[in-house]
Amino acid sequence: MAEKHFSLSALALVALVVTANGQAADAEAYREFYPHVAIDPARGVAGGADAEFGATLQYWQDEQALEQNKGFIGQVDQEWKLNWKFMDLDRSDDMHPGYLALEKAEKLFKFWVKREPEFRACLGEGKTDLTGLAAGYPKYDPKLKKIMTVESRVEHCAQTALWENFRQGTPENNLISLYFKSLSATAPIKVDTNSPEIMASYKRGEKLFYTKVGQYNFSCASCHTSSGLLGQRFRGQVPTSPFADAAHFPTYRMNLGDIESLQQRFMRCNLQARTKGLPPGNPDYTDLEVFYTVLSNGYPVSVPSAR
Amino acid sequence: MKSIFEKGRAVALLLAAAALAGCAGQQAAGPAKASDFSEWPCLSSSLPCGKLATRKPVQQALAGPLNGDPARGKALANERSKGNCVACHLLQGAEQPGSKGPDLRSYGSWARSDAETYALVYDMRSRNPDTVMPPAGTNQILTDQELRDVVAFLQSSK
Ligand code: HEC
Ligand code: HEC
Repeated sequence: MAEKHFSLSALALVALVVTANGQAADAEAYREFYPHVAIDPARGVAGGADAEFGATLQYWQDEQALEQNKGFIGQVDQEWKLNWKFMDLDRSDDMHPGYLALEKAEKLFKFWVKREPEFRACLGEGKTDLTGLAAGYPKYDPKLKKIMTVESRVEHCAQTALWENFRQGTPENNLISLYFKSLSATAPIKVDTNSPEIMASYKRGEKLFYTKVGQYNFSCASCHTSSGLLGQRFRGQVPTSPFADAAHFPTYRMNLGDIESLQQRFMRCNLQARTKGLPPGNPDYTDLEVFYTVLSNGYPVSVPSAR
Repeated sequence: MKSIFEKGRAVALLLAAAALAGCAGQQAAGPAKASDFSEWPCLSSSLPCGKLATRKPVQQALAGPLNGDPARGKALANERSKGNCVACHLLQGAEQPGSKGPDLRSYGSWARSDAETYALVYDMRSRNPDTVMPPAGTNQILTDQELRDVVAFLQSSK
């Protein structure tokens, strides 16, 4: 009996050690990080002037700069310096695919708001005028105790006010997010870097940016910093600066013939580097979106756009 | 101020036309066949792939003589779903070469041994931990024979 008792507790002990080891091994799975670049989140989009990120801000920071450097358009070894900002077509009055998508988006929004006015109030967290609100996203919502992106707000409000499941990444969510964000066009992005929750998320997102993953063992930084592939031809493509990227999403993506959210772009970049993409709305992609949007602070929302 | 956006729009329309014509410019360097890659580490803090360990740098010795086929190696180095070396390197006969890695068009005259070349292509991290070059051997992008073929191709490039 005593012997049996002994062996049982020994077994329990072994089990305990194995679990503890298992957890330790989980937490410390070997991982490599691409060399970090010092980024001051308080500078927002101004960090785009730093050599580590191609020092391209001067070429695209405003319309005058773009106008001066429009000769770069169409030249592979120059065009990347414009950071695709010449495709921010919100400043042109002409019809283009981004506007066509926005027209469709407005119709869908108006359809639902007519049926359920509560939807608008939910998106505005009580405000019915949504102008400029999307420029403050992602933000921490103290009621929901969550970081909310434009897309997760739309998902949440569709559930609570419409009883509809407009999951992130669905055409409905992308359309309504596009419309919501367009109501902030030209408003400078202002993610609240004084919020401790936002800054905790920023730090996690920053770490993800440098984490090497996938069969290619690439991090976002491997392609989007100057010591990596930024400004270099990677086959026919030239990766650009991450600064101000968040401003033009959701965007109309020409080669997809559809609207693409920022997190759907993350997914595509992950896949391109042979890494499992995460579903839009995943908390890790949300952290990455917070990081990316802080790097756009001070830059005007540029929706509708096309890429 | 309007003109730049008109030029932008012209490019946009061109791109749209290109997409319609089926030459999706932005889809470079992706794998040929769809796969979910969940057997490799990912950015998730909850999915199993987020817990997978990155394979550590390896200094791989070349066993026996090289026995590689340069012609096959050339094809492998060019193929997107295989070596994809031209994504970063200028190689002999490369189409749409990249510009990040050194020009390897005359690698054969560098007088590097087969063994050293094999080890570098197998896993460049053994020389430079911060390299962007994917570890083709360690991460099974190429098999042992395919690596030998690629090395034979590099050595034949003079
Ligand atoms: C294999 C190289 C590679 C990796 C790894 C990579 N990207 Fe990209 N990324 C590109 C290329 C090429 C483009 C298209 C050119 C451009 O706009 O930079 C792009 C575009 C983007 C864009 C859209 C830019 C725009 O103006 O529309 C975003 C956002 C982005 N990447 C974020 C990321 C994030 C986040 C990660 C990591 C999860 C990542 N990328 C990893 C190569 C890469
Ligand atoms: C993502 C970019 C990238 C890819 C893909 C890539 N390389 Fe490289 N390669 C580099 C870089 C950058 C270097 C410079 C060495 C370093 O990073 O320390 C390099 C160096 C090399 C060298 C050594 C050259 C020297 O100066 O000593 C060889 C040989 C080489 N690569 C072969 C290959 C082969 C073969 C493949 C495909 C199986 C490949 N590379 C794929 C980026 C790449």
